Amino acid sequence: MEAIAVSWPKLEQRKVALVARRDLRDAVSELRLIIAMVGLTLAIPIGVGSGVRAMALFGGGTAVVNRLSLVGAFFVVFIPASFSLVLALESFVGERERTTLEVLLSTPLREAEIYAGKIAAVLCVSLTLCYGGLIVYCLITFAGLGYFPVDILLALGLSTICQVAAMVAGAVIISLNARTMRAANVMASFIILPMSVVLQVEAALILLGRAEFLWCFALLMTVLAIVLLRMGFNGFSREALLARDVGLRHPLRRAIGAVRAGFAQRPGFLRLLWMRRIPMLIAAAGFPIGALAGFLAGSTSAVPPSVVRPVLSSLVRAAGDGGALETALAIFAHNLLAFLLVAVLAILTLGLSGFLLTFVPGFLLGFAAALSSWTIALTGIVPNGLVEIPAAIIAGGLLIQVGATAMHMDERGGWSARVLAALADYIRALRWLVPALAVAAVLEVWLG
Amino acid sequence: MLEVRNLAKRYGDVPALQELTVRVEAGQCLILLGRNGAGKTTALRCMAGVLVPSAGEVRVDGIDASDDPAGVRARVGLMPEVPGLYERMSARAYLDYFGAIYDIEPSVRRRRIGELLELFELSGAGDRWLGTFSKGMRQKVALIRATLHRPKLVLADEPTSALDPDSARRAWSYLQDLQKDGCALVICTHSMEEAEHLAGDIGIMSAGRALAVGNMVELRRESGLKVRQEVRELPTLQDIYLAIVGNHGGDRRELAETRTA
Repeated sequence: MEAIAVSWPKLEQRKVALVARRDLRDAVSELRLIIAMVGLTLAIPIGVGSGVRAMALFGGGTAVVNRLSLVGAFFVVFIPASFSLVLALESFVGERERTTLEVLLSTPLREAEIYAGKIAAVLCVSLTLCYGGLIVYCLITFAGLGYFPVDILLALGLSTICQVAAMVAGAVIISLNARTMRAANVMASFIILPMSVVLQVEAALILLGRAEFLWCFALLMTVLAIVLLRMGFNGFSREALLARDVGLRHPLRRAIGAVRAGFAQRPGFLRLLWMRRIPMLIAAAGFPIGALAGFLAGSTSAVPPSVVRPVLSSLVRAAGDGGALETALAIFAHNLLAFLLVAVLAILTLGLSGFLLTFVPGFLLGFAAALSSWTIALTGIVPNGLVEIPAAIIAGGLLIQVGATAMHMDERGGWSARVLAALADYIRALRWLVPALAVAAVLEVWLG
Repeated sequence: MLEVRNLAKRYGDVPALQELTVRVEAGQCLILLGRNGAGKTTALRCMAGVLVPSAGEVRVDGIDASDDPAGVRARVGLMPEVPGLYERMSARAYLDYFGAIYDIEPSVRRRRIGELLELFELSGAGDRWLGTFSKGMRQKVALIRATLHRPKLVLADEPTSALDPDSARRAWSYLQDLQKDGCALVICTHSMEEAEHLAGDIGIMSAGRALAVGNMVELRRESGLKVRQEVRELPTLQDIYLAIVGNHGGDRRELAETRTA
């Protein structure tokens, strides 16, 4: 795996503050925009808070009102948090389009100072609105309600900071690839879609009402925000931003050329295994970690069996109930689909899908062991697991490498070429992995 | 003041600049001529410490741009082709912002901003938002911004292209004053009049290469033109440019573009 230097840049605080102050002034200089943002930020908490209070007054039931008050808090911070994306796109892509960024880059300011100043300005506006809305909501909703879930609200507050930071960092990454606001708005879907999934998960956790899950979620969001901010910083370079639009004609021909170049001069399978030994070790660790997590989840009932049983049943059903050949084909198709699906998700999840390729089977194994015993659970994966698990470790490792490549921005550019090369390694490895899956399916049906 | 040796810059596989070697002493002016895409803007960006050269060396005031690009940028005033002003900022606040970035004392920058706005007849508009400025006014503000910190080297990309003749002469006069104070100038232009007015040395560029660099006498010699055929007088820079670019295979489109600029 390529060495990724982790060092934080030197910043002159006065210069960062200078950039931040100007951007902040620019962001609040348009009265109509400010009225719209402040209006929404205040109207939503007032409306939602009043709704919750009305439900409490008219006998909505304590449990329902309490849950609803938490969902309301989530809803209140969500809208102002989404402003951060618009503000960040304007601050980075808008300035690039209007060439004011070029002027800023020609000054003695370091890239890090410009980057930090701009991010600070966007965070300042978005978080002021988020927390302003949340405070108004809390005052309206919880005063006299007899219920104030401070731990959940704090976790929500932390994850909101991280969501905003992640969206802003995402906007910076977009700014490196979009020269116009129009292109940036289209590309913003790559932030909005994953973020909507994240928000749905958060909403589900809020509905569960378990603060510890929300803290874990906030921690994950913190890691994601740090990774994305770091990616944005690495990519935010004069070279990347001011490189001329040369050689951008014939996009299809260039795309084909880039894919060909990605496949050119890649290492052989055995050499590739050696080169990617670290991500493969991480993927290999995913299986026992998953097994342990599954066992703990099953034995402590942290995850109710009623949640996991349908998954296990669906896996059994997926094997089909026809003849041996049909069953083998179904198992093979199921595994192949899993290998393809995690590959598609590898870039978007920054390699997490590769880790899940070993973690999830491990988790299910551990959970099954908790419900029965390790002996029974292990007989379910022998002998086919002897082929399937190494194949999953190799595939998972290569996809973790794809994720690591995707999150590594370089000031000299070349992101697409590196990601294509990492994906090419995975596709080439499928020449060995697909037959391995076929062998595993045969072993499972005839010897399992 | 500025020393450029074998400077090259590639964008991916595309060479934008090749083997450029020029030297500009303090108080001297180098004019870069050439069609769009000849590599002038890239050359300026490399000289300003904004872009990292793919090969070669750029030194400004003895500082290597590869070793200390921020040091180079602090000594250089770059005026890009597009002014790039913040629309929702007044001219005075805008210039003050850039003065602060260059660490100019608040009292000094206020005084300088006032003087320069006065010089360019923008005093009355100093508190208006830049978004309301005309093209020419914007270019004047950009020129003030690039020179506010009294740089040792001014790099300007078509600094007077949007100015009326009177304002252009005022801008030239201002640049010549900077020259007299020891500031080195590198100016890209399509205006032969501007080039002849300001130039000590002239570099003629095409397809990322400097075809010729020298003063008028040297260029005249290189072009092979001794006297203008029709009127029997010394050839103008326009004649020299066309002859040199023509000798190196420049196409007719390029000639037409330069004539009309």
